[in-house]
Amino acid sequence: MVNLMILKSKNKYKQEIENNQNLKDDPNEYVIECRKLNLWYDDVQALKDINMKYRKNKVTAIIGPSGCGKSTLIRCFNRMNDVIESCKIEGEVLFNGKNLYDSNADIRLNRKKIGMIFQKPNPFPMSVFDNITYGPKIHKIEEDEVLEEIAEKSLKKAVLWDEVKDRLHDSAMGLSGGQQQRLCIARALAVEPEVLLMDEPTASLDPIATQKIEDLILQLKEEWTVIIVTHNMQQAARISDYTAFMYLGEMIEYGETTQIFENPQEKLMENYITGRFG
Amino acid sequence: MTTETVFDQKIYFNDKDLSYLKKNRDPVVKWILFAFASIATVFVFLIIIFLFINGAPFFIVVPLNDFFFGTNWLPGAGDYGALPIIVDTLLVTLGAIIIALPLGILTAIFIAELAPPLLRKVLKFVIEILAGIPSIVYGFFGVIILNTWLKDIFGMHDGKSWLSGSLILAIMALPTIVSVCEDAIRAVPDYYRQASYAIGATKWQTIRKVVIPAGMSGITAAMILGIGRAMGETMAMTLVLGNKFRLPDPLANMLSQVAVITSTIASTWGPTVEGSLEQRSLLALAIVLFLMTLIVNTLSNIILTRVQRKFTGQKPKEKYSKLKNIKMSQFFIKYKQWILTAIISIIILLILPDYISKLIGAIFCIGLSIVYYIYKIVPKQRKILVIYSVLLSFLGWVLSTWIGIFLAVSISCLIFVSLIFLKRISTVIQQRIWFIIIYGSSAFAVFAVGILIYYIVVTGLPVFLEPGFLTGVPSNSGREGGIFPAIIGTLQLTGGSILFALPLGMFAGIYLSEYAKDNKITRFIRAGIDNLNGTPSIVFGLFGVVFFLLFLGLPRSLLVGIFTLGLMILPTIIRTTEESVKAIPKSFREGSLALGSSKWQGIGKIVVPAAIPGIVTGAVLGMGRSAGETAPIMFTAVRSHSTYITLSVLNPVMALTYHLFRLSNEVTGGLERAAGTALTLLLLVLILYSFAFIIRIRYEKRKKW
Repeated sequence: MVNLMILKSKNKYKQEIENNQNLKDDPNEYVIECRKLNLWYDDVQALKDINMKYRKNKVTAIIGPSGCGKSTLIRCFNRMNDVIESCKIEGEVLFNGKNLYDSNADIRLNRKKIGMIFQKPNPFPMSVFDNITYGPKIHKIEEDEVLEEIAEKSLKKAVLWDEVKDRLHDSAMGLSGGQQQRLCIARALAVEPEVLLMDEPTASLDPIATQKIEDLILQLKEEWTVIIVTHNMQQAARISDYTAFMYLGEMIEYGETTQIFENPQEKLMENYITGRFG
Repeated sequence: MTTETVFDQKIYFNDKDLSYLKKNRDPVVKWILFAFASIATVFVFLIIIFLFINGAPFFIVVPLNDFFFGTNWLPGAGDYGALPIIVDTLLVTLGAIIIALPLGILTAIFIAELAPPLLRKVLKFVIEILAGIPSIVYGFFGVIILNTWLKDIFGMHDGKSWLSGSLILAIMALPTIVSVCEDAIRAVPDYYRQASYAIGATKWQTIRKVVIPAGMSGITAAMILGIGRAMGETMAMTLVLGNKFRLPDPLANMLSQVAVITSTIASTWGPTVEGSLEQRSLLALAIVLFLMTLIVNTLSNIILTRVQRKFTGQKPKEKYSKLKNIKMSQFFIKYKQWILTAIISIIILLILPDYISKLIGAIFCIGLSIVYYIYKIVPKQRKILVIYSVLLSFLGWVLSTWIGIFLAVSISCLIFVSLIFLKRISTVIQQRIWFIIIYGSSAFAVFAVGILIYYIVVTGLPVFLEPGFLTGVPSNSGREGGIFPAIIGTLQLTGGSILFALPLGMFAGIYLSEYAKDNKITRFIRAGIDNLNGTPSIVFGLFGVVFFLLFLGLPRSLLVGIFTLGLMILPTIIRTTEESVKAIPKSFREGSLALGSSKWQGIGKIVVPAAIPGIVTGAVLGMGRSAGETAPIMFTAVRSHSTYITLSVLNPVMALTYHLFRLSNEVTGGLERAAGTALTLLLLVLILYSFAFIIRIRYEKRKKW
């Protein structure tokens, strides 16, 4: 434990320098940036001074053991933590240069632009079609032809169209777990987001469904920025361009995936990816 | 999948016109829902306030002492000693619980653990429907069957007695007790059982040592709920007890005619003059009843919360944490039970008038405290035994004859001895003996309820099938003719009350579940609603009179009946709405928010539609209840005789329940028509209840989250 503390205090310095050096280039490259982000649930600090930048059209994976704050972190990016009463946030999250937590920032507009996929597939208890068009309707698209067009396009983007095109008006609850999760992705895509946040999207799926979602993520990054939280290190290694490692609410290491997995700078990170803890 | 469709960039969303985002309806909706919740809450507290305002002046005239310890209840002569009535209430309830509790628990064990799945489903369905049988129907059964049996067996005058009341109450409380116990037992996670089987325990050992201790709090809550239901029962008691305002003589005599609080109010309120002392005395009785059920309900709520905590692993809040370090308070915490006992005993000694009652009061208080202490230190699985033997010995004390005490003690001894005996024989035989007991009592419980339905159907069917019974109008005070106006009246009352209560209760429930923060005020409101849920219907009836008729000056009419019944079912609707909205997973709300919807859009378009089946179930149950109640409408809305259908809401109507009450109580020679009416009422309520449960079952099958 003592070692760990020393390690951590060292990290802080190193990390800030590293973050700024490793990722130092054109500011337009970044979509989301968080600065000195601190978060408390009641008295428990769940995030400690997080500074991170996320690149456009790349997949960034956040890994770390359970309870390290990775889900909490990405929930900050579309302000889903607002729902939790005991939650208190300090610091800034910049989306295209504007602070999400500004008093005049429009939460709903930002949520539309920053889509989110949850750990457990959560299709609404209505038809596949109604699920997809729920978002567009919320955002005032009312013409049937346009809705149909959006539905088809989003389902195709989520590689679900061929499987559900004949049962668009059946209940979404009848789909398999993997299909449900792709439906949720299609639902998020239907409101034309710029960023997709994914909170362990494959945690409750079997390997084949997981494979499909991973393939899909690799396709999605052509058009969207993806930030994915995952428990599964192999998954992070397979699909992400950048990887961040979190531990006990702190960002321990962040860099290009290949570099981080092959040559981790931090002892803690090395232990984690070699399976010595976590 | 083709590449060109995937990367075809076409913008559908016009990001420049974002005015729609500014039009946030959330605050408005929140205020509207809050308004509904407040109205509902105001009504809840109006009931309490009006009851007390109108009842309390009674105690200015008649001293508390005379009211609680006087033994003569003769309002005409100015004697207002409520002791016999209060003691009778406790005695009748006690008798019922002693009969119903073991039967109920064993039947619940049978249904939850031993019955094959199909039988289990059928029994559960039947029991939940039975819980809805109107009390007046039980009363009618008491009058025509049970009392004649008792008359023949014991050679009594007409069979009306404490025993009859306790038996009827026991049958009536059985479904409630079985259903809550069964829920408690089913709520014990399966891996407990598996763990027990895995170390080689028999089925009975598992049930007794693992399942029942784990479900203990729920079973206790069921018992208390049963007591509450029995205490507040009105119409059946009015019919079968005999309404003599005196203590049983001798106290042990279960065959003597008695009167409970509810039946006293129901049978003597009618002719009282507005604002008279007599009327206020009945309101004072209602307050006593209200306080009694309040205690019972609070207890069962506390226990049920504890059950939830146990299975969700939530830790209870530490009491006295700030005081823990001070020595004095440590002393107090350690001996708090004894200190409280001492204080209460001293108060009793100061208040009570003469030496004998002082002595008895103090002994009673200390005895209660000792029993509680024993209850606390015995192991969990023995607790139910302690409760049961306390009840038995209390009965023995009440019996107050040496024979009574001997009987009670020997029964307790028998139970203990047989338990010790059971321990020594092989587990397989033990299991067999217990299973036989369980099968036996379940069969008996089913038989008891079956007999009731059998007789209602057999006696009622000939009249029911008579041409013109359902479509004709009554004549000769209801001894002849049909019940058409009563059917329509009941439908009007039921329909009206749901139209009044559903919107109010639904919006209040949505507010409580989605918008209300978990603070003291909300908890206070919830507690108020919960308590009203278990408040006896006669109390609602009196509120209807005091508030709508006397205070607002409305005439005795359909409208007042609708409001009174509506208020009675309001708490049920609020709670079922709240529960079913809460049961919708959080992920739906998050999914909606993540797409940029407002809070209300998510709730209105996703959460509430998904909760509709649950809300409808609650509403139909409420309708069943208001169709079956007599007490709330008998002074506010009904007329005894009518040959036409009331179209104006300001006129009184006929109702099936009240018609049945009159025919079986006041009209000599009306029993034949009463049987037909009872069957009609039974069918109406059972149809409503089955409808509710079919909706629920279909919905549970369909839902996949």
